[in-house]
Amino acid sequence: MAPLAEVVSGHDLLQVIWVSLAAGIGVTASYAFAILGGARAVDLTRSGRSGEAVVFGVLCALALAVVAAAVVYGIVIMTTK
Amino acid sequence: MNSDIIVVIVVATALAFDFTNGFHDTANVVATSISTRAMPPRVAVTYASALNFVGAFISLEVAATVANDVVQPDLITPLIVFGGLIGAIAWNLVTWYFGLPSSSSHALIGGLIGSAFAANGADAIIGQGVVGKVMIPALVAPILAFAVGGIGILFIYRIVGRQRPGLVNAGFRAGQVISGGLLALAHGTNDAQKTMGVITLALVANGSISGEHFHVPDWVVLSAASAISLGTYVGGWRIIKTMGSRIHKMDTAQGFAAQGSGAAVILASSHVGFPLSTTHTITGAVIGSGAAKRLSAVRWGVAGNIVVAWVLTLPAAATIGALTYGVTRIFGTGALGPVVVSALILAGSALLFSRRAARGPAVTAPETS
Repeated sequence: MAPLAEVVSGHDLLQVIWVSLAAGIGVTASYAFAILGGARAVDLTRSGRSGEAVVFGVLCALALAVVAAAVVYGIVIMTTK
Repeated sequence: MNSDIIVVIVVATALAFDFTNGFHDTANVVATSISTRAMPPRVAVTYASALNFVGAFISLEVAATVANDVVQPDLITPLIVFGGLIGAIAWNLVTWYFGLPSSSSHALIGGLIGSAFAANGADAIIGQGVVGKVMIPALVAPILAFAVGGIGILFIYRIVGRQRPGLVNAGFRAGQVISGGLLALAHGTNDAQKTMGVITLALVANGSISGEHFHVPDWVVLSAASAISLGTYVGGWRIIKTMGSRIHKMDTAQGFAAQGSGAAVILASSHVGFPLSTTHTITGAVIGSGAAKRLSAVRWGVAGNIVVAWVLTLPAAATIGALTYGVTRIFGTGALGPVVVSALILAGSALLFSRRAARGPAVTAPETS
């Protein structure tokens, strides 16, 4: 039986681990920020604090852009390998 | 002529396996969405079915892995492939009967290993391929998904914990539609390819295509995509219930965290060409998202039963595959053996479905919750 180091590609496994951690946690956190931004923007607009509402609206848009980029990148990974 | 009949039977059996793969693994894609009411059940399975079909066309890297890295292609005959497929189908039906989300990929690989071992002994098995490309990644996947799902939900609660539930729930339900779609696409990319790999293996063994220049024919891609898509549409509702509500009752944020992290792990593994189990990954993420909120929220007895099914999958499918090969060879190397075994399996499947239908309401129909 070959040593485990010869059987398992450590590089590939490490790649799976770090990409999974970065993508999984990054996307879920970004989407949570998008929801936070959207919810706060709605609440602040209703209470007449439009300046702060814009800031949270921008946060929402940026976070959604990050999520969209991650989804597109995921599809690109599938289509280009 | 006789060998062509066998290949036709093997291809039909492979597509039947692909159907059970879709049927069995529908839960991986739709269970969390249905549980959190992000989508109505029938809409969820239709959506997943369509994206599984599309996903099957995206890449062929995993198909090559199944065919070349687990068993010796030059020792494989169509009868061996047939035995392996029957082992996988039988184990998929057994675990469906008990509502357990086990790995169709492990069942397929186990069936092939058992059948090849029965035919040629240990020489037919590529031990390094089985350990390095299958077992180690399959151990890593649920643990990694558990961690990612758990950390992800903690981030989410920290970020949106003080917001009004109405907007937050609506937001995460919308997010589940996106993450569920990505997951279905990834599932089609990974799992349909395994059937493609097996069919191509049988075609190479029969001499229909050259083993020197391994490629998956277009008709194989199309038929495998159609079979897994149809299986997904039919849906294995008992496993959906286990994944969606029996492990733990999840909220919309947990559903999103489980789906998103599961999709990330599957895509990452697909990127490096590992035949990773979608079931292990999503189940790990579902348990992780529940345990991170509160350990006691997870029904550990159910989780334990699932892990037992995972451990048993490879040896059980291998045993059935080996037995099938042995029974088939009683009738010689012609088409009679596969015909007899196929008839027995069809009769057994009909009995299993009728018994399951008699024990509970609506086996293959969506629940109204």
